[in-house]
Amino acid sequence: MDWFEVISENFMADGGRPLDVLEKVRARYPVVLHGVSLSIGSTDPLNEPYLDRLAALARRTEPAWVSDHLCWAGFGGHFAHDLLPLPYTEEALAHVVSRVHRVQERLGRPIALENVSSYVTFRQSSLPEWEFLAEIARRSGCGILLDVNNIYVSSRNHGFDPRAYIEGIPKEAVWQFHLAGHSDKGTFLLDTHDHPVPDPVWELYEHALRRFGRVSALVEWDDNMPTFERLEEESLRAREIETRVLGGAAMRASR
Amino acid sequence: MNRTSTLLGAESLFWDLITAPEGVRPGLEALVRAGKADPGAIESLVGGDDRLPAAERLDIYANMYFFRLLDCLREDFPRLATALGEQRFHNLATDYLLAHPSANPSLRYLGERLPGFFAGHALARESACLADLARLEWTRADLFDAADCRALGRDDVASLAGAHGGDLPLRTVPAFRLLRLDHDAPALWRELRDREQSESGTAPSSDETPDETSAAATWGAGAANAARLGEEAGSRCEAGHVHDDRPAPPLPQQKRRKTAARVWRRGFTVFHRAIDDEEADLLELIAEGTVLSRVAQRLAAGRSQARATEAVGRLLQAWLDAGILAAEPLR
Repeated sequence: MDWFEVISENFMADGGRPLDVLEKVRARYPVVLHGVSLSIGSTDPLNEPYLDRLAALARRTEPAWVSDHLCWAGFGGHFAHDLLPLPYTEEALAHVVSRVHRVQERLGRPIALENVSSYVTFRQSSLPEWEFLAEIARRSGCGILLDVNNIYVSSRNHGFDPRAYIEGIPKEAVWQFHLAGHSDKGTFLLDTHDHPVPDPVWELYEHALRRFGRVSALVEWDDNMPTFERLEEESLRAREIETRVLGGAAMRASR
Repeated sequence: MNRTSTLLGAESLFWDLITAPEGVRPGLEALVRAGKADPGAIESLVGGDDRLPAAERLDIYANMYFFRLLDCLREDFPRLATALGEQRFHNLATDYLLAHPSANPSLRYLGERLPGFFAGHALARESACLADLARLEWTRADLFDAADCRALGRDDVASLAGAHGGDLPLRTVPAFRLLRLDHDAPALWRELRDREQSESGTAPSSDETPDETSAAATWGAGAANAARLGEEAGSRCEAGHVHDDRPAPPLPQQKRRKTAARVWRRGFTVFHRAIDDEEADLLELIAEGTVLSRVAQRLAAGRSQARATEAVGRLLQAWLDAGILAAEPLR
């Protein structure tokens, strides 16, 4: 293993095992903080206590970078604990960009935003998702955590070409890849992170490597957990593909 | 009424639909009755097709919303879930989430208000002891990631032995709570744990061994809940109350009996133990911060000198072994 990504919220604790494990891992490996509750697209105000905790965790952990999702996660002061999709409109674009600026100022560093899997498209949307994401990165200076599995899942759920998505993302904005498995529910694909990375996602990963070059890649597997060795096999496969496509050694968490 | 033309309107409608307890379509019907949405609001909000109509697409989010939170509550209240059985726990979670939707970005706090909510719920009238069980379980979950603190050890005490021993400052570690209960929740917790272990075929453990911690919920654990959508055997699988004909387990019954319990974390393991009133009173004193001589004074009342000394030694030893006294005042 070259580096680890941790869910930020799980370590916004005062003590106990989570922080102890994080410190032990951080002492030996680069770590990336990956949040799920920033709710950057919500029309609720940014949650100030949450930002305080995130900033404190970043100071403590000194992560390679901090990321979250291009989504909204709550409304009216309540949280869904889910990654809810946004309408891709000019209004939403301006709203998200202004909030990314505020978060980046607060943390004193740029953040990366990840594309989420989705099951709906909003009637109001006037931009394809990749243009929306690319424009947010361009206007705010944030990075992109490109989840290859999420592109595939959403492409199947909405009927777009996943390669067009990848072609629409600016090369220089991509900081990290995610790879993961999903579940086929018959009428839709569900982003479950409980299966091996399937072949179509590996194929899309190869396509992404050809477009973006050497980018740190992480395999997500957070339910129906396999042995560590099985998980490591997935990571090694990502490395082998990168070496085959690009040559040379794989990347640690760096950009 | 067009709620979909602005980001605020779209998020507001989306939220109302995916958090409606009976599902998206009934949720819309309720909004229409209340004059808060048009009958065609779902189709105006999101696209759909023959393969997956708009309402079914929103239902994916609605189901994930509820089952992720249900699983989180089950992780924090495992014995309460066992005592109630699947259907009653599901319905309790539905009622709870309607009254107290998650108000914190971290799932860790989702169950914080469940003990108080349960105490006023109809189920508490059928089984009052379960309200105390819920308090015990939440306390255990809450201490899982409470602040660390070096515990007072025998060496610390030995260094102050002799003339200054009475000055030994005492206070409890941050990962310590004293509970005053109306029922013997620790006994009920043990009984339910043994039942779970018996049903799963694992060996029962004694009450004094480190019981498993009630791990605080992690966000990622809920990500795959939707894999179970529609697979809850024998029951309607939606966010509202479930009704099925399978027999529910009889609810536990205990006579009221004032019980004190100490709950604490040593290392990464959370423990609890029923204690007598005298120890509870002393721990209350210590939790506020005191010195050993004050504890000794309390124990001297009604005891001979020899028996008071023995009592001080016995309790101090137990607290040192448990790791519930903080070493910080010595620094």
